[in-house]
Amino acid sequence: MPPKILVIDDDPDIVDALSVLLEGEGYEVVSARDGEEGLARIREESPDLIILDLLMPKLDGYGVCRTLTDPRWSKWRETPIIVLTSVREEASQRRYELETGMRMDVDDYIEKPLDPDVVVDRVRKIMARRGD
Amino acid sequence: MRKQLLYEISKPVIAAVGVQNVLRAIVESITRGTGSKGCSLLVLDREGGKLYHRVSYGISDDFVEKGAVEVDETLREVLGGKSISIPDVSVDPRVRHGKEMAREGVASILSIPMRSYGGIRGVMRVYSSERRDFTKDEIDFLDSIAELSGLVLEKEEEHDRVALEAERAREELHRMSDERERFLYFMRMVAHDLKAPLAAVQSYLKVMLRGSTGPLTEKQEAWLDRSVKRIDQMLELISDIVDMSKLEAGMIAPELSTVSWTGVLENCVEVARGLTDAKGIELAVDIPPDLPEIFGSEVRLCQLLNNLVSNAVRYTPPGKRISIVARQEDDEVVVYVEDEGCGIRPELLPKVFDDFFKGDPESGEGTGLGLSICKRIVEMHHGDIRIESPAPGKAEGTRVTFSIPKGAICDLTYWEKQKEEEP
Repeated sequence: MPPKILVIDDDPDIVDALSVLLEGEGYEVVSARDGEEGLARIREESPDLIILDLLMPKLDGYGVCRTLTDPRWSKWRETPIIVLTSVREEASQRRYELETGMRMDVDDYIEKPLDPDVVVDRVRKIMARRGD
Repeated sequence: MRKQLLYEISKPVIAAVGVQNVLRAIVESITRGTGSKGCSLLVLDREGGKLYHRVSYGISDDFVEKGAVEVDETLREVLGGKSISIPDVSVDPRVRHGKEMAREGVASILSIPMRSYGGIRGVMRVYSSERRDFTKDEIDFLDSIAELSGLVLEKEEEHDRVALEAERAREELHRMSDERERFLYFMRMVAHDLKAPLAAVQSYLKVMLRGSTGPLTEKQEAWLDRSVKRIDQMLELISDIVDMSKLEAGMIAPELSTVSWTGVLENCVEVARGLTDAKGIELAVDIPPDLPEIFGSEVRLCQLLNNLVSNAVRYTPPGKRISIVARQEDDEVVVYVEDEGCGIRPELLPKVFDDFFKGDPESGEGTGLGLSICKRIVEMHHGDIRIESPAPGKAEGTRVTFSIPKGAICDLTYWEKQKEEEP
């Protein structure tokens, strides 16, 4: 069974681009178009990794992260999360934290527009850590 | 020299144990060391008319709590820089509160001015229960300690001032009108909605370029590559325009906090290293570890430095060097970014801070807004920015220097004032 990745993003083009890229690397990819649907998929699919957009209708990325800290979600709490951000800056994570004043407990950040090499590299690293 | 030495000694000590503890340790050690009854540090109020007990050792609370000490003729002399010893307070006409002194058991008083960089801040008093005079050597030594106390107090005041101003600015924020809040939200949405489609297309193109959708012909690859570059420029332009509007509308208020210069600079060096390493440029860094604090926007100060560094990287060939140097000079923090690149033609130098100025209009790189954003950021922190090419003392390269006053408070209404000044 290939590792399963859940992509949660309201932009179907981003979902498509990520699916093609990651399936090409041998992963199984499932997707959701907003935070609520994302949480439902997490329950159904128990993915090995979540790639999460922040600005989304219904429930945004912060909401998803917050929900996962709830004890009722403890089964999925340890699922690694990569956040997609569209804050353009070299030091994206730092700037993101400063601008929003929010520090999220996530495993990594990937910037949009996506750099495929970066995406594959980050995903591989996290999967390797999971494999240990 | 003595002042500098004391200052250097006091800095790590204060950082380690805190101002109050240092001051307490000072009065206690002086009391013990001189075999006196007690010692106090009295600080001058803003108007210069009264002295307040800042910290004391060995004397009673009653004595301390009798309140502020009026500056009389004798104290005025001390505040003028002269140490005065009163060997017998019971008979000396200069002593006004002889009775209270007697009740406290004080027989002699030595008063020494507390000097610091900003002038005399108050008086150190050593109380003795026996009638005695102090030798010149003793007074000289105590004078050094008084000076140390003065420096400690100054450091604390500076910190308090920044904190106070920060509090004021934060209150200002609370009053920020709904209109501004709405505008900020609007800008964020505009930025997101303009960038999102571009980012999606860009992601597609890059996945195709990587070969994930099948092999590409040479021509396809070249055109995809060019599309990616054009979209990058467009994204950069949107970000710059959004930043510019935010700066002009004073929209960076939520980012304001007390920021350490050293922290900002070290952060930026990390980013800079990513850029220089990728291009094979050497990065030389010289940043002192103890630069002062500033009340401003860490995001914008980082953006300022990142803009300067990415400009330098753009015009510097591999194998050359870029330097980031910071200094505290008098009341300012001065930072420069210097490169060994192609430099700027003298006739263009006056224009580089203009909106949409590009050194090489043919080049597809850059938006022409980088340096004008830098200028706005520096000016809203009450600073100056200038450019020199060739770099001082060199035959080539460019140096951009900015200086921002120590403890500067970011001015959100800077842009409005600027507009008012225009005819």
